[in-house]
Amino acid sequence: MNPVSDLGALGFVLFWGLTALAAGVFLFRGYQLFRLVSLGRRSEKFGQVIKRALTALGHVIIQKCQFKNITREDRGGVGHLFIVWGFLFFVTYYFFFIVIASGFGIPDVMEHNKIYGYYTWVMDFVAPFIVIGTVWGIIRRYIVKPARLKGQQTAEALIILITVLIHPITHVGKIATQIAAGHPPAGLGILTPPLSTAVSHLYTNAATIAKWHSFWFWSHWVFVLIVLGMIAYTRYLHMIAGALNDLLRRTPPKGTPERIDLNDPSSFGVDRVDNFAWKQLLDSVACVVCGYCQEICPATFTGKKLNPRLVIRDIKTNMLKNGPFITKKQAPVLPLIGENQEGSVPMEAIWACTTCGGCMEVCPVYIEHVWEIIDMRRHLVQMQAKFPDELLNLFENTEQRSNPWGIAPADRAKWASGIETKPFEAGKTEYLFYVGCAGAFDARNRHISLAIARILDAGGISWGILGKDELCCGDSLRRLGNEYVFDRIAKDNIKMFQDRGVKKIITECPHCYHTLKNDYHQYGTDWEVIHHAEFIRGLIKEKRLKLNGNGDLGKVLFHDSCYLGRHNGIYDAPREVLARTTSHTPAEMKRRLNRSFCCGAGGGHMWMEESIGKRINHERVEEALKEDPRTICVCCPYCMTMFEDGIKDLKASEKVQVLDLAEIVARALQ
Amino acid sequence: MRKFKPEIILVGATGLGRDLAGAVATDLATGLTADCTGLDIDDRGFLLQTRPAFGGNIMATILTERTRPQMATVRPHVMSLPAKDSSHTGVVIRESPAIDEVDIAVKMLELIDDRKHGQDVDIAAAEVIVSGGRGMMSKENFKILQELADELGGVVGSSRSAVEAGWMPVERQVGQTGKTVRPKIYIACGISGAIQHLVGMQSSDVIIAINRDKQAPIFEVATYGIVGDLFKIVPAVTDRIKELRTKNEQG
Ligand SMILES: Cc1cc2nc3c(=O)[nH]c(=O)nc-3n(C[C@H](O)[C@H](O)[C@H](O)COP(=O)(O)OP(=O)(O)OC[C@H]3O[C@@H](n4cnc5c(N)ncnc54)[C@H](O)[C@@H]3O)c2cc1C
Ligand code: SF4
Ligand code: SF4
Repeated sequence: MNPVSDLGALGFVLFWGLTALAAGVFLFRGYQLFRLVSLGRRSEKFGQVIKRALTALGHVIIQKCQFKNITREDRGGVGHLFIVWGFLFFVTYYFFFIVIASGFGIPDVMEHNKIYGYYTWVMDFVAPFIVIGTVWGIIRRYIVKPARLKGQQTAEALIILITVLIHPITHVGKIATQIAAGHPPAGLGILTPPLSTAVSHLYTNAATIAKWHSFWFWSHWVFVLIVLGMIAYTRYLHMIAGALNDLLRRTPPKGTPERIDLNDPSSFGVDRVDNFAWKQLLDSVACVVCGYCQEICPATFTGKKLNPRLVIRDIKTNMLKNGPFITKKQAPVLPLIGENQEGSVPMEAIWACTTCGGCMEVCPVYIEHVWEIIDMRRHLVQMQAKFPDELLNLFENTEQRSNPWGIAPADRAKWASGIETKPFEAGKTEYLFYVGCAGAFDARNRHISLAIARILDAGGISWGILGKDELCCGDSLRRLGNEYVFDRIAKDNIKMFQDRGVKKIITECPHCYHTLKNDYHQYGTDWEVIHHAEFIRGLIKEKRLKLNGNGDLGKVLFHDSCYLGRHNGIYDAPREVLARTTSHTPAEMKRRLNRSFCCGAGGGHMWMEESIGKRINHERVEEALKEDPRTICVCCPYCMTMFEDGIKDLKASEKVQVLDLAEIVARALQ
Repeated sequence: MRKFKPEIILVGATGLGRDLAGAVATDLATGLTADCTGLDIDDRGFLLQTRPAFGGNIMATILTERTRPQMATVRPHVMSLPAKDSSHTGVVIRESPAIDEVDIAVKMLELIDDRKHGQDVDIAAAEVIVSGGRGMMSKENFKILQELADELGGVVGSSRSAVEAGWMPVERQVGQTGKTVRPKIYIACGISGAIQHLVGMQSSDVIIAINRDKQAPIFEVATYGIVGDLFKIVPAVTDRIKELRTKNEQG
């Protein structure tokens, strides 16, 4: 049966005419978007194309985008799995059994083999799953309305979901009428696909069956074509743009922004949409508005103006609006950074990000919100000198005295005045212990430095420090957009390390760790950088530390720091060390591992006042207190300050203490 | 300046003085050493201008050898007031040049008082600050700090914790994200001395810390430290000052 040839030549004209029209609409919009995205700046090069392509394809097929976000609390992704896998079968079906079979008038050739028989069986099982997935989606979005989908009850989403529903329904109608008409899929004898066969019993009037079949065929195909056109204009686009975004992903590490060419003022930051790199514009097109990012974002969660989903939406709106003007070399009409309108990112949002990386971790289409936010900060700091007042001190102090507090550099080695330390000297000392500003100057965090020193000595490690010559690593400056001063600091540090022959570095702070390891790597360094959590794990594994269990720590709860966990994937080392030291697996918070919740200090927030909404550290401390710990274990001096302050503010200091992993280990040393 | 051609010009390193000195030095194409902490004249008649350099690690003494006048701004209160010496016979010339409004780039339209209401004080300008932290326990207890401050002619400041707890307005916060202050006397009561607080007050001339925890880091920067309960110590100090004052007034 072929409803196309049934209409004679007209049928073919209609079939191919409609198909070409839809393809035309699709390609036209695709080209338009390509042009818009190409307005972006050229950026880093991409290598390993084949490997990338295979990975991206693999991700789509195994639906990594969904699996990474399916949790006990949020199973919405399962519905998506049903739809996508079902869709993959449908697309294959369309190609072989509609475009080739019906379109070329050879349905009999295609349908008289076993494969077709098998395939209709498969489709019979797939179709209900698509229906389940879609109905589930509609119910969740419009009736249950979980927090993640807040503000997303749009008509667009509903129309899309309904169009998904039409595929399986019209398909089953088509096969059922085919069976009723006495042309069951051949090859399997009487074993016809069960669902379609059941439905076929509805069609008893032999006179109208052919008409019904024709109806189902044409409505089916017209809907497929409508969807094809919609793909290019609606969020459907994510299936293509999302996969492309995965394919063209920047190489890790996440959270390390691109280096900029300081000789080219046009790259000092972004305040016009075409100053973004093209990959960043592609990001904006790929967003599927799933809301995972807004759900995990500590700023959104505590009532700040920042919502990573909206940042991406605003960039897209801005591009669509300004793109045509920019193409014609005219000035943009909508400011990229501005208040209270869709298409402009509010200043307050730009400053609210802690660069915790949560959004990037969960984004199913690998959007890198943080890179975009830092680019806008770069513009505000470097071109306009517009930034929160408190940062002036930070910038000046770091530039002039190479530490955020402006303390005399001569005081850097004071933390070690009561112990014996060696200066780092290549050949004489193996490891450089890079203490960092907090570890050197902050009274509380100096205890961590001392604990690490004790552990290194106990493990028989040969180590040295830079003492008063140590400089700030520049982490906060970079995340705050002050690339110019960061660049200088980075070069100074790298030169000093190279001059002194530093090869292996132990850091106390995850921020120093990330900066020395990943940010400086952009300057061509590849020394070994080890955070103390990892280093201590190594010492324990090699049995170089004699630990004697631990007395009065009580229930120990572990907090993942963003720059150790999410940005660098170090989750096991601290937990293992805790388990070995305390003889108990550490207790965990609800938000943990890669879904951990920021302490509130990253991205330069260690130096900023937080007066809007709830304090992020209060939120996190409350979450910790729910587990009723005696000790909270952190691995970062910033987390230390945030937890200690939060615990004091919430009047819990009597019950809970905060210790760094190194302090816990040092206490357990014999 | 062009009329008198002085050898040396000294300006106070106040907000206004710093702006003015820089502009004058540029106009006269001469050097300027900002923020000096010590001054002297050597036997060749050169002004020796001493100031901390390289982040306070060394004291640099700077000479203006090739240009005249020799200019320096001097930090307020860094030099002690010498006793009056009547053997010096210099004259003070008062010059009030006529200033034409067209020469001034800035025009003052209106003076707006940014103090919200009469009570608010600018702690950054105060010479004596009595600050309280979480150790104060409640808003009411800040009364005892106010009494001490009144006695000393100073104002009350606070740590961020006290602001957080709602005991003090945010304008009174001293520290990293609050105000940086350099009073003659800073009295920290029930403040542990977190680095975020220290950076806002550690260059005060005299720091007195009252804290019951003798390990508290505030004692690392304190000129005088008192370990004990502030609720006993502060009122005692206030009373003693009152006592001394009445004695002085009588005697
Ligand atoms: C981004 C950021 C910015 C910050 N900015 C600032 C800032 O600008 N300014 C600032 O101050 N802090 C700031 N902080 C907070 C800082 O980290 C500390 O939490 C804060 O300074 C502690 O305040 P505190 O000393 O009053 O309280 P605590 O640390 O709780 O100290 C209270 C002290 O009072 C003592 N005490 C208690 N009772 C008595 C008694 N009866 N008699 C005597 N002593 C007693 C205790 O021994 C203790 O040492 C900032 C923190 C962050 C994260
Ligand atoms: S990095 Fe963290 S704070 Fe910044 S937008 Fe993403 S989730 Fe929010
Ligand atoms: S940015 Fe990513 S996580 Fe956020 S809504 Fe868009 S697709 Fe989802």
